[in-house]
Amino acid sequence: MATTEIYRYLIVSDTTNVALDPEGYLVEIEQWTPDVARALADEEGITLDEAHWEVIEVLRDFYARYEMAPAMRPLVKAVGRALGPEKGRSIHLMRLFPGSPAKVAARLAGLPKPSHCL
Amino acid sequence: MKLHIVNRAPDAGRAVEQALSAMTAEDRLLLIEDGVQGALPSQVDGFADIEGRLYALRDDLEARGLMGRHDERVKVVDVDGFVTLTEQAERTLSWY
Amino acid sequence: MRDEQTPDGDLLVILRHGPHGTSWLREGLDAALVGAAFGREVALLFMGEGVLALLEGQGPGALGQKGTGPTLEMLEMYDIEALYVEGRAMERYGLEQQDLLLETRCLDAAAIAELVDRNALVLTF
Repeated sequence: MATTEIYRYLIVSDTTNVALDPEGYLVEIEQWTPDVARALADEEGITLDEAHWEVIEVLRDFYARYEMAPAMRPLVKAVGRALGPEKGRSIHLMRLFPGSPAKVAARLAGLPKPSHCL
Repeated sequence: MKLHIVNRAPDAGRAVEQALSAMTAEDRLLLIEDGVQGALPSQVDGFADIEGRLYALRDDLEARGLMGRHDERVKVVDVDGFVTLTEQAERTLSWY
Repeated sequence: MRDEQTPDGDLLVILRHGPHGTSWLREGLDAALVGAAFGREVALLFMGEGVLALLEGQGPGALGQKGTGPTLEMLEMYDIEALYVEGRAMERYGLEQQDLLLETRCLDAAAIAELVDRNALVLTF
């Protein structure tokens, strides 16, 4: 769940920074921009390319429609539907967003933390 | 066999009706807390379908002054009896 | 509404409260989503006022609580597709399948008892 607790600020540019909660999710999800995603990705050691951006877009669509960030299983399903079965696989998402893809990708997409994950 | 537990009075909502719908022919029903009002002779007809499988908790009957006023078809159990019923059941479901 | 037998499931969540008045509905849906996220086969049974959770045209609450409509539409993304409603409650509220957001199967009391019996774990909310 999104929290309102500000834990630290993420520097996005010389003139912009955004508040993050203790787990690194945006406090104000409206503040998300592609630059915010890049700055968050830097912290994860991820360089965003086309394959990342299309997943981020799937996640943002998911949230707009269902008002929740998906756990891994529905994320795989949503990616598969939007981008095709080749990409709708855990292994693809693990490669793009190592560790816990549902959480990492939700964070970069500016969504709240998925609430039905480990 | 499953044990269904109801803690609401028959007059308060649909808990009794829902529990009865969900019971198979072996299942038992235990009335606790306000649920024990269902053990009164005027109420017990609502449980006709499960005769012999209806229980009420003694402590809750006593606390409400209903001990002795309950219908004889209701089996009264104390807390140990409650534990035994739970142990005899594969699963327990609460209706509140 | 189909007639074939209901499959044996891992988890049946029974939703017996409508939206907004209490948090029971949301908690029940959360339990179902957690079960599904962990790979369990999950079925939902809407009983009593719980059937109102399925109504078309719900919105967020007065204090900005989220509506349950988007969560219900999300169920299929979690592969929660076994949805049942209590026939008696549908009648009591004067509802038909066409009033509901999702495709459900309408059950009488005997079918409800059977469904409850076939699931390894049953949670009531």
